[in-house]
Amino acid sequence: MLQAINIFVTKNRRFVPITATAILVVVAYIVGAILYPAMRNPQVFFNLFRNNAYLLISAIGMTLVILTGGIDLSVAGIVALTTVASAALLREGLNAWLVILLMLGMGTALGSIMGSFIAYLKVQPFIATLAGLWFARGMCFFISDDAIAIDNRIFKILGQTKLLIPGWTEIATSQGKPAPFISIFVVVAFILFGIAIYIAHYTRFGRTVYAIGGNEGRNEQSARLMGLPVERTKLLVYTFNGICSALAGICYSTFVASGHGFYATGFELDVIASVVIGGTMLTGGSGYIFGTLFGVLVLAITQTLIQFIGSLSSWWTKIVIGLLMLAFIGVQSVLAARKEGSKQIQDPQALAAARLRRRRQALAGSVVVVLVALAIVFVPQMRNGNGTETVVGTVCEVAPFREEEAASFLADGAVLVYNRTAGTPCVDELYAIYPDGRIVADNGTGNEPIEGQVDMAELERILITASDEYKWFTDNMFSTYHNPCRQCYAHYLTISYKGQAKGITAVDGGVDMQPEYGYTLSIIRPILPKFTVEP
Amino acid sequence: MSEANHYILTMEGISKAFPGVQALENVDFTLRRGEIHCLVGENGAGKSTLIKVLTGVDHPDAGRITLDSQEIHTKSPQHAQTLGISTVYQEINLCPNLSVAENILLGREPQRLGSIDWAKMNAEAAGVLQRLLGVDIDVTKPLGAYTVAIQQMVAIARALDIASAKILILDEPTSSLDANETQQLFKVMRKLREDGVGIIFITHFIGQVYEISDRITVLRNGKLVGTFDTASLSRFELIAKMIGRSLAEFDEMTKIKLESSKHIESEAILEAKGLGRAGAISPLDLELHAGEVVGLAGLLGSGRTETASILFGSDKPDTGSIEFNGKTVKDYTPLGSIKRGVALCPEDRKMEGIVDDLTVRENIVLAIQANKGWFKHLSLQEQYDIADKYIEMLKIATPSPDQQVKNLSGGNQQKVILARWLATNPQVLILDEPTRGIDVGTKAEIQKLVLSLAEEGKACVFISSELEEVLRTCHRIAVLREREKVAEFSGEVDEHIIMQAIAGSES
Amino acid sequence: MKKQRSSFSIRKATESRLFFPLIAFALVLVIDLILVPNFFRIEIRNGNLYGSLIDILRNGSTVALLAIGMTLVIATGGIDLSVGAVMAIAASVAALMMNPWVVGKELTVELQRLVMDPTYTYSPFWLVILVTLFVATMCGLWNGVLVAYVRIQAMVATLILMIAGRGIAQLITNGVRIQIFYEPYAYIGQGWIVLPFALYLVAFIYALTWLFTRRTAIGMFIESVGINPRSSFFSGISERKIKLLAYTFCGFCAGVAGLVASANIKTSDANNIGLALELDAILAVVIGGTSMAGGRFSLLASIIGAMVMQAVNTSMYAIGVPAFALQAIKGVVVILVILLYSEQVRGFFQNIAASRKEI
Repeated sequence: MLQAINIFVTKNRRFVPITATAILVVVAYIVGAILYPAMRNPQVFFNLFRNNAYLLISAIGMTLVILTGGIDLSVAGIVALTTVASAALLREGLNAWLVILLMLGMGTALGSIMGSFIAYLKVQPFIATLAGLWFARGMCFFISDDAIAIDNRIFKILGQTKLLIPGWTEIATSQGKPAPFISIFVVVAFILFGIAIYIAHYTRFGRTVYAIGGNEGRNEQSARLMGLPVERTKLLVYTFNGICSALAGICYSTFVASGHGFYATGFELDVIASVVIGGTMLTGGSGYIFGTLFGVLVLAITQTLIQFIGSLSSWWTKIVIGLLMLAFIGVQSVLAARKEGSKQIQDPQALAAARLRRRRQALAGSVVVVLVALAIVFVPQMRNGNGTETVVGTVCEVAPFREEEAASFLADGAVLVYNRTAGTPCVDELYAIYPDGRIVADNGTGNEPIEGQVDMAELERILITASDEYKWFTDNMFSTYHNPCRQCYAHYLTISYKGQAKGITAVDGGVDMQPEYGYTLSIIRPILPKFTVEP
Repeated sequence: MSEANHYILTMEGISKAFPGVQALENVDFTLRRGEIHCLVGENGAGKSTLIKVLTGVDHPDAGRITLDSQEIHTKSPQHAQTLGISTVYQEINLCPNLSVAENILLGREPQRLGSIDWAKMNAEAAGVLQRLLGVDIDVTKPLGAYTVAIQQMVAIARALDIASAKILILDEPTSSLDANETQQLFKVMRKLREDGVGIIFITHFIGQVYEISDRITVLRNGKLVGTFDTASLSRFELIAKMIGRSLAEFDEMTKIKLESSKHIESEAILEAKGLGRAGAISPLDLELHAGEVVGLAGLLGSGRTETASILFGSDKPDTGSIEFNGKTVKDYTPLGSIKRGVALCPEDRKMEGIVDDLTVRENIVLAIQANKGWFKHLSLQEQYDIADKYIEMLKIATPSPDQQVKNLSGGNQQKVILARWLATNPQVLILDEPTRGIDVGTKAEIQKLVLSLAEEGKACVFISSELEEVLRTCHRIAVLREREKVAEFSGEVDEHIIMQAIAGSES
Repeated sequence: MKKQRSSFSIRKATESRLFFPLIAFALVLVIDLILVPNFFRIEIRNGNLYGSLIDILRNGSTVALLAIGMTLVIATGGIDLSVGAVMAIAASVAALMMNPWVVGKELTVELQRLVMDPTYTYSPFWLVILVTLFVATMCGLWNGVLVAYVRIQAMVATLILMIAGRGIAQLITNGVRIQIFYEPYAYIGQGWIVLPFALYLVAFIYALTWLFTRRTAIGMFIESVGINPRSSFFSGISERKIKLLAYTFCGFCAGVAGLVASANIKTSDANNIGLALELDAILAVVIGGTSMAGGRFSLLASIIGAMVMQAVNTSMYAIGVPAFALQAIKGVVVILVILLYSEQVRGFFQNIAASRKEI
């Protein structure tokens, strides 16, 4: 029996990494569903795709780039630039479809510029795409400092249309539950997925991509000697990735309905991690687009699980992803039978024996690492009981900031208006503080607003600190709103002091919130009245 | 056999000069249809330049090339391919991560409605292999899953299939093949010959030249020595034409050798007992004595380099032991060997010898510095002194010790490596193909040097594919065949006996 | 043949490894001179020097420190993407050791006052520095083991710590951005003895590294391993040990850089410290002329490269270019520099210099 498995594995060696990822995804999901009943809601499954459609789109393009042995760090920049540019153009009143077309064109242009540097001027992909990343992000702020909201009908439709799953709807309604749905861009992502698979396996271009990568760079020379259009293929690959990045950017902007230069920070790492975990080697030449789908799912499930566990903070996601990458890369490195330099023929038996030994080591090592990762995530929960059951697993509907209400409070004489939304549990709190220290607050439930009081001298001290020490009214403080993570709170704070009034948005857990914003929040929060939580 | 005078290819008066060297001077070459024609010559004789001119990698300064009665000017390897001239290089220039079928048809995959038709591709590839080479393998498996020999077959299949090839050039194809695989290749070559393909076969294995070729062309120092029918040229005559040595020089070397043999110690300095490594060599015994030069003779693939690696410690043995000066060796690493006083000048100068961006001085002191460790730094002055000493001793041609080694000629690079190992003052010096790819004059220098080192009291191991060289330089010769030590002779023995031991049961 | 004592000549100068970085630096400064009249003005206040030039040197210290370690890693043919994350980890460890109370989130008023006292630190200063550098070095060791012993590709292996490292840094401080009030620590980044203290740190680490690589065999071995690991193996050099050393040392340098960066802003900001600095460090090394394929390296050139990058930054500020446009311009500058370094252009300059000499 073991022999048979061994033979099967040997024959299909190339599929081992993908299978491993797929098994991991399934196992993680099953374990999660067992521990958290809320996760059994089918919407959770579909949300994996809804929330990560843009990651999948971008990862598909990146897979082709990595297959040629290259890398593209600029994806995050292009995504951000796409969100900002499209938001700005929409604001100017351009037709939505035209905007989408322009954005794709921009992605093509940027991708092909980088591609030509890499293919024809022989600049290292790392450096060329790094420059592209900086350039693209810089261009974002050229267009706009702050976030620009998108208020376009077509974009709204693209982002919010619920596509019901055929077959599931009847089952759900018969059980009295809401019908599960996906978004339009999930379909787009899968169409792209299909196209990419076709390209990779059924076109000469795709086979050239595979031919260029791998074998530690020697393949590229061989491909050239074989007469393949190496440079042209490289150019096309980066151009294609540029288009994918732009498409991902469009998807993202429909998702968060805004555009900002600070979006997608660190996104390129997520994309690369997805591709690597999906079984594609960074040296190129081996890997499957299909695997990337599973890579994306791994990232998605990790985030979902951590969300459900609730008490784990967002940074655990990073650690777990790091560990998973370690496991997969470890397996990849060891499985790749490294020929040691010389061309000496080795006794096939000895070679096979060595390979088997290495394979067993790799498998053992990676199983250990993955178990450790899962343990880190789950064991603390098992000790504390079955975790807190958060709001029935549905997506927290992030309430939009109550800008008009805030404005009216300010007009009424308030010196400080603080609106806090999102987070776990989901909140929508608005506090208004008047110069005499009176605080009025409501939590968006429609109940009576509650009152609080703060010492006037204390209030004065807060205002002075915020203004002078934290430099609230200078250009160093600006809005950094982006789509909040599940445990993160979103803040909208307006301070009016000595004739100046300035409102700034921010989100927890991001890399962009200025420290001074945090300090300001930390001196304001203690004085705010607390809402009693209903059991 | 085809008409005796029908040439498919003629090259007349080809000359080519590179800065500083006349690579080819007025060389003629002809190839018949359905012929296997060997091109032989020492390194630097001009073989590769001639092929590069033919395939369009370089352009000749003078002369003309006629293919099938039409004059041609090849512009690039791709162009040559379309004309029907296919080349298979020693380095397999294929993609091991793709399947065999893909490698054969890459760039020309059969398509159906715009997308690749895999079924058709696999069938076509299998057909090509069967038809052209008579080889039957699973074309869907990745190329990297097959041995080098099979990969070479695939490379040949691709080369032939691309344009109904009239001429096939095989550049040192047997270097990475064992005896069986070489026979497989020869079978394929004979089939191609029957089909009328003209094959140019470049090799340095004299035995293979005689086994497979119809005609031999000898080049020496860029000039054509002559083209001969294989059947009418004896081996001795061939070698004489290749290296152009007179008998007198032969005698001189033999005299030196006889003199030095008086200084051989009786106690063994290094004793290898039952030393073996799975997949590399079968357990063997070998003794080295101070003052003696021991040669390892055998065909490529017989295990000579593997033996050297194990003796030096760059590979670990699975069985057996080595006793050095009476003590059993426990530390099988290069550093351990250096500390003991064992040095290895590796076979692959470029990959295992020189560090090309470093200077001559740095390359020379590298091993002694490694011996001293990280923190006992040789001062700059000390380094220069050592470098100067060896530059003079070995007559290394370099403008200064600060010249980067990559700018030196092959022979001088070899001398630098030699200097590195001599500087470690070893008691045992193993030299693996130290004269390969070096001009004739330097070769003689190195051979004399080896004998003088022995006279100083070192134990030397001398590995070379050129039997004449081994006979000239060694006091004792061990013969390896198919990874086993099969015989040991004194250095006075007759050439034929050694060749017989190398060849095995064949007469 | 006697040792050739190199006499100064234009040709020699152009072939020197420092030539191009210095030219680049000079170029940037010249542009500054044209566009910003006060750029080169240096003031003396309280015996200390201030001015835009000094700013460049000070702000570039962090990247210069990273670049020193990164040079060794790149010279072995590898790369270390995790240095930014290691900086964050180092900063977190240091801040936590000085102020562990903050992690509990709820502070009594007395504790708050104690913590904000500039002379208060929970652990002695020397211990803080020691432990922080130790942790950073261990991070480097981790990378070294992955690359040298487990044989994972450098870019991939260090990518793991790059992703997980920030998570670890946040884990250490439990997500809190710990403010640092302890004065002596802040001195590391903000102190001034005629010149900024950070600069002395850079000089010290540079001197240390120079001794370490050029007054021992380590420098030559690193170069040898980077150029041809196999030949180095045959010569008795342990490729694994050398690579392990390089990555460990790079971690150490990142630790020092983390101290400087967090001292500068008096906070341990796990999300922001060192963000994208690894890329700056790599570029500094590239500008300094060390090939990304490995081999010959020059520490001084890398430091100059770091200063070039910082000079570009600072001059943009001085000219009045808004912060965001800076990134875009950096992108363009990088490409220009890389193209300038391409073999053709370099050879072109050297040919000019050579022909001038022959005249």
